[in-house]
Amino acid sequence: MNRCLVRLKADTTAAATVLMVLAVSTGFAQGPYERQRVDAAAADRGRALYAKHCINCHGSTAKGTDRGPDLIRSSVVLRDRLGNLIGAAIRPGANHQATLAANEIVDLSHFLHQRVEAIVANRNARGPLPVLTGDPESGRAYFNGTGRCSTCHSPTGDLAGIATRIADPANLQQRFLFPTLRRGGKQVEATVTVGQQPPVTGTVVRLDDFFVSLRDASGEYHAFNRGPGITVVVSDPLQGHHELLDRYTDADMHNVTAYLARLK
Amino acid sequence: MLVVASVLASAAVLAQGTVTSADLLKPSGASWPMYNGDYSGRRFSPLTRIDTTTVSSLTLAWVYRPNPGNAPAGGGGQTVVTIKGTPVVANGVMYVSIPDHVWAVDARSGRELWHATWPSKGGWHIANRGVAVLGRTVYVETPDCNLVALDTRDGREKWRTEICDLEQFYYASAAPLVVGNHVIVGVSGDDLDIPGYLEAHDPETGARQWRWLVHPEPGSPEAKTWPSVEAMLHSGGMTWGSTTYDPELNLLYLGTGNPQPVINGRKRQGDNLFTESIVALNPDTGKLVWYFQSSPHDTHDWDATQTPVLFDGTIDGQPRQLLAQASRNGWFFVLDRTNGKNVRSTEYVRTNWSKGLDPKGQPIPDSAKEPQTDGALVSPNQGGGQNWPPPSFSLQTGLFYANATRAFSVYYLYENEDDEKPQGWGGNDRGGWSEAMLQAIDYKTGTVAWSHTWTNSSAVRSGLLTTAGNVLFAGDAQSNFVAFDAAKGTTLWHAGLHTSMTNGPITYELDNTQYVVVAAGDSLYAFALRGR
Repeated sequence: MNRCLVRLKADTTAAATVLMVLAVSTGFAQGPYERQRVDAAAADRGRALYAKHCINCHGSTAKGTDRGPDLIRSSVVLRDRLGNLIGAAIRPGANHQATLAANEIVDLSHFLHQRVEAIVANRNARGPLPVLTGDPESGRAYFNGTGRCSTCHSPTGDLAGIATRIADPANLQQRFLFPTLRRGGKQVEATVTVGQQPPVTGTVVRLDDFFVSLRDASGEYHAFNRGPGITVVVSDPLQGHHELLDRYTDADMHNVTAYLARLK
Repeated sequence: MLVVASVLASAAVLAQGTVTSADLLKPSGASWPMYNGDYSGRRFSPLTRIDTTTVSSLTLAWVYRPNPGNAPAGGGGQTVVTIKGTPVVANGVMYVSIPDHVWAVDARSGRELWHATWPSKGGWHIANRGVAVLGRTVYVETPDCNLVALDTRDGREKWRTEICDLEQFYYASAAPLVVGNHVIVGVSGDDLDIPGYLEAHDPETGARQWRWLVHPEPGSPEAKTWPSVEAMLHSGGMTWGSTTYDPELNLLYLGTGNPQPVINGRKRQGDNLFTESIVALNPDTGKLVWYFQSSPHDTHDWDATQTPVLFDGTIDGQPRQLLAQASRNGWFFVLDRTNGKNVRSTEYVRTNWSKGLDPKGQPIPDSAKEPQTDGALVSPNQGGGQNWPPPSFSLQTGLFYANATRAFSVYYLYENEDDEKPQGWGGNDRGGWSEAMLQAIDYKTGTVAWSHTWTNSSAVRSGLLTTAGNVLFAGDAQSNFVAFDAAKGTTLWHAGLHTSMTNGPITYELDNTQYVVVAAGDSLYAFALRGR
């Protein structure tokens, strides 16, 4: 992280405050590196100030009303650092009446930057997703009927307690739609036949248009360049799941999730 | 920009020469002087030394691994080199870029000539798609919103100019396009609800000449596709794809990105013009001439920034000037490029999100497949049937090639206090499964003439190249670089790279040697067929 120690004077004649303005290094590193790092405690104080002085015109989420602009979309707020621009903008005048102390302006700036950061981060969910909208009985019927899940799975067998192991129903929904193979469980297998030779069957190590390699039941490694005279038959334990993606309705999906969520 | 290393032979400097407008209008086979090779966007090379019989004799000519140096990347950490841009070749020199870095490399030998770096102030370092060249200048965009001009001879900075506002979370990644005396640049950014635009800059000074905003003028008929002026002014619709150009019609063509807020579209009812649209602009004024919307009122982040490929063809027995796009949303569109009228709209991969076409040939979104708080199962996924890797159109076969992905994911809308006025994203897709196939599409019917499903490959991120030797070059997701018979779809040759291809391949011929150059991760591989 880049760190610069910056001496900043707030808008009024209060004593200069020495503050750290740290570069933000996030997973999505958009925006300026040197943007304000939100101090949560200061933002809490700023929220109280906002509720007292700003909310009537700028709205409960700072997104504006017809009396005052959207502050998330404000160039002043986006460019502000620790109140240097916000302070000037809210000086008593035509639109603003309150006089805030220097430290209050800094707190307010932390709150407003916190609001911006919340929007910048909102491609990520902030809590569990409400996916339990389906009917579990319809889910059970699908499981045993159209979906043919019962050909491979059982609520008292491999799926017993699944909803305890996967407690978040959204994760449960994702898991049955898009399962992955686990180490130690079933794997993709292939049978390779070269000309008249006996076929070789094993767990796939690598497979593409040009090459296939396997480990057979004894652990022996076999590899082949693919081409004329070589047939490769692949067996994927998840094939049924992939094919269902073209057949589930959204109602089926929600019903199955609701059914699986009961298997605690 | 700082020049870090400069290893020049004076002979190499003198031999470089300049790039003229004529060179860009009619590129010689010795060059690949812009992102797509030429203004058409076809990525079809007239070179014939490599053909369906000689391609099996391709050998490795050189490998080049650009070294970004030891300075830490902006924001901390070391620079990871992934080459996602298309190199440009002019006067025997190849220009390769990643965010904040440009290297000049001898195109015959793969030896580095110079390296220029940019100290960054931020912006998403997702990729740099490539440079543009004119005269003795290389033009490149930086993630922190600058257009920088460098000297072709030694990488020294000539000037820089801001093209977007980093403070509003814009960034820049696109390859500029030089048309006449205009350097055309596009911008990116969808964290906040900011308007997209395309700009033209003076090639000598960098001064801005015009800016075309992706949203309509308030009060215009197209403004009615937004519920309010405020929503419209925060449209999104970024311009990070590649621009093509017809010199006879004097029209620029590009596809625009997703509307804002990205996923939660509940408070932006309407088609949301001109987001996710193919537009034609006058390059001298920046004025909009026509538009077609690939994805009206999208809520899946399906930027329609895929290359608008230009070719002349025959429709119902009549010669037509056409444009085709294989769009992120899974649909293939053929338009009349003189006026934007729809000729064909078909799916190039099966999708599940639309319910037919409107009278303009634009898909109608099914509201049930918009993101839902409990999830909607949608195909394609956010990555789309096509993304940034470039397609190709062969003048020889008349086929449009798209290295496509058929994918499913679940789109969630997030419930929160922002229901009143969603901003930013407000949701996302999650998880998924996909398969990948190389589709050869007959533009006359919009149907797939042949299809090659890649074995054991989920999504592919490899661009395409076709040549007059009837060869199609592509990559799978298993590190293979493959040559196909472009007409039949049979595989002719392949090589195993150290990782999967990450850009679009190019070809050029120097001294009777035809080179095919492709990037995989941190390396450029040059294959060659040497003449006698």
